[in-house]
Amino acid sequence: MIQAQGLTKRYGAKTAVDDMTFTVQPGRVTGFLGPNGAGKSTTMRMVVGLDRPTAGTVLVNGRRYAEHRAPLQEVGALLDAKAVHTGRTAQNHLLAMAATHGIGRRRVDEVIEMTGLGPVARKRVGGFSLGMGQRLGIASAMLGDPATLILDEPVNGLDPEGVLWVRNLVKHLAGQGRTVFLSSHLMSEMAVTADHVVVVGRGRLLADAPVQEIVGRAAGTTVRVRSPQAGPLEELLRRQGLAVTSTERGLLEVTGGSAPAIGDAAAAAGIALHELTPVHVSLEDAYLQLTADDVEYHADPGAAGARRAAADPDSPTRPGATAPTTESALR
Amino acid sequence: MSTLATTTPAAGRSAARPAVHHVTFPRVVAAEWVKFRTVRSTVWTVLVTIAAMVGINTLAAWAISMAPDGAEGAPGTASVVTLLASGVSMAQLVVAVLGVLTVTTEYTTGMVRSTFAAVPRRLPTLAAKALVLTVVTFAVGLISMALSYVTTLPFHESLGATLDLSDGETLRRALGLPLYLVAVSLLGLGFGALLRSSAGAIATVVGLLLVVENVFLLVPLRFFEVVSPFLPATAGARIMHDAPMLAMLDSMSAGDVSLTPWQGYGVMLAWVAVLLGTAAVLLRRRDA
Repeated sequence: MIQAQGLTKRYGAKTAVDDMTFTVQPGRVTGFLGPNGAGKSTTMRMVVGLDRPTAGTVLVNGRRYAEHRAPLQEVGALLDAKAVHTGRTAQNHLLAMAATHGIGRRRVDEVIEMTGLGPVARKRVGGFSLGMGQRLGIASAMLGDPATLILDEPVNGLDPEGVLWVRNLVKHLAGQGRTVFLSSHLMSEMAVTADHVVVVGRGRLLADAPVQEIVGRAAGTTVRVRSPQAGPLEELLRRQGLAVTSTERGLLEVTGGSAPAIGDAAAAAGIALHELTPVHVSLEDAYLQLTADDVEYHADPGAAGARRAAADPDSPTRPGATAPTTESALR
Repeated sequence: MSTLATTTPAAGRSAARPAVHHVTFPRVVAAEWVKFRTVRSTVWTVLVTIAAMVGINTLAAWAISMAPDGAEGAPGTASVVTLLASGVSMAQLVVAVLGVLTVTTEYTTGMVRSTFAAVPRRLPTLAAKALVLTVVTFAVGLISMALSYVTTLPFHESLGATLDLSDGETLRRALGLPLYLVAVSLLGLGFGALLRSSAGAIATVVGLLLVVENVFLLVPLRFFEVVSPFLPATAGARIMHDAPMLAMLDSMSAGDVSLTPWQGYGVMLAWVAVLLGTAAVLLRRRDA
C-alpha cells in the first residue's frame, strides 16, 4: 500500500508535483497515467526516498521508505531502466543488490530465470538493449520478493512478447495480493493492464478511480443516431433538453439521453431511425479529455481535440479541469 | 542484528514470504566489495598502482646504485624503506583517482538510484565505500612494498641498505606509506562524494596534490608559510619520512611549526574527516 499525502516537489520556481494525495491499494494493478513531464517519475522517486518531497509525506506499507529495515523486501522499484553501472554484468549487479539484504545467490538465479535474462546474465550491462535493461530492472525489483512493486514505464523498449509478459506478470503479482503501481504514458497499455488509474497532468492529480469509472465518466451518455428525418428529430431532442451535434447529413450525436429514451421519443413522434448506437469511449479518449489542459508539451492542440469529438466536453463530473474545452463543443 | 524477525505478510499473499533479511552494515560492506571487484576500471586501477610503484621503485634503486660514491643522492647506509617509497608520488595520484571513481561512477551511470533504493539511509553506503577503499588501498601499499623489496634486492648490498622492522622509525615509515595512500584515496572519495562528477573531483584532488600544496610550499608570503604545513598531503607525508628528511623539510619551511610524523598524519585525517563529514550531510539531503 502506498499513501501519498499532500505530496509536493518543487525545483526552484517549477513545481513538478503539486499537492498530490492518493492511495494505491494492494491486490490490484494501479496505473499511473499522465503525459510526459506530468510528474510521474518524480512522484515515484519520492516514494522510494530518492528525492525529498518539498512538502507532504508518502508512506509505503505504513512507513516512510527509509524507515524500513529491509526496504527491498517491502518495495521493489524499477525507476530507470539503466540505474545500473554499465561496466558490471547483470548477474554481478543483482548479486551486489542482493548482498545489501543478505539475499542469497539462489534468489538471484531465480529472478534471472524469471525475467529471461539467463543468456545475457554474464554480459556487461553497457551492451544491453533497452528491453534487456528493462528486464534487468524488473529482476532487481523482484529480488526481495516485495509486497509492493513500483514500475516506471516498464514496457518501454520491450518487444510485443515482452509487453505481454509484463502485463501478465503484474496481473499475477496483484493477484497474489501485492500492491502494483505502474506508470505509463500509453493509455492503450493501461486499458488492458490496470484495474484502477491515477491520472496526473502538470504535477496535479486529475483523477483517481477504477478504469471503468474513468471511461464511464468520459463516455457520458453520447448516442449516435442516424435518421432520414434528422432535422425534425434534432428539434425534438433539443426540446427535451439534450445536446445535439451533427457532423454529417442524417447523422446526429446526442448527449445527455440514453439510447432507449431516444428510440422511444423518436417512435412516439413517428420518426424512423436507421441507427441508434451508444458511443463507446476508450480509456484513451477519457485520458485525452482529462489531460487536455494539462499537457506540458503541446504538439498540436487540434489533434487532441479531434479525438474527443465523441466525448462530452462539458461533463460536470470532470475533476481537476480548470478551463473548459471548447473545440469540440463548437463543431 | 537478528534476521529472525518477521513482518506480517500482506493480506492475500499466497506465497509464503522468505525470511526477512535486514540491511546491516556488514551486508552493505559485502555489497560494496562485490561492486568494487566486479568493475574492470577499479581492478585495473589497483593493478596499475602496484605496477607503477614496483616499477618506479626498482628503476630508482637501480639509478641510485649507479651513482658514483659520495655523489648527491647516494644514500649511504640507508633504510630499505626509502627504496620502497620512490613510487609513492605516482601511486598517490592513482589511488586518489580510485577514491574519486568509487563514488562518482555511481552518479555517472545512474547506479546510485539502485544503491540508495537498497540502502535508503545512504550513510552506511558511504561508510562501506570508505572501508572497502581503506582495506584495498592499504593492501595495495603493502603488496607494492613487498614486491618492491624483492625487485630491489639486487641493489640492497651495494647501497648498504638494511631493513630492521624492530626499529621504531623503520616500522613507522613502512606502515606510513600504505597509511598515507589510504588517506589520499579517502580524500578522493570525499571530493567525489561532494562533487559527484568524475572530472571535477579528479581535477580537484589532483590539483590539490600536485599544484596547490606546492604553490603554498614555495610562495614566500606569511600566510602561505603558516598554512602550508597543515595542508593534507604536506602534513600527512611526514609519516613516511625519516628524521633527516623531516629536519630538511623543517629547515626549508619558514614556518614555526614542526609536526611530528603522527601529528602530521593526524592533520591529514582531520581533512579527510571534514570532507567526508560534509559529504555525508549533503548525501542525506540531496536528491539522488
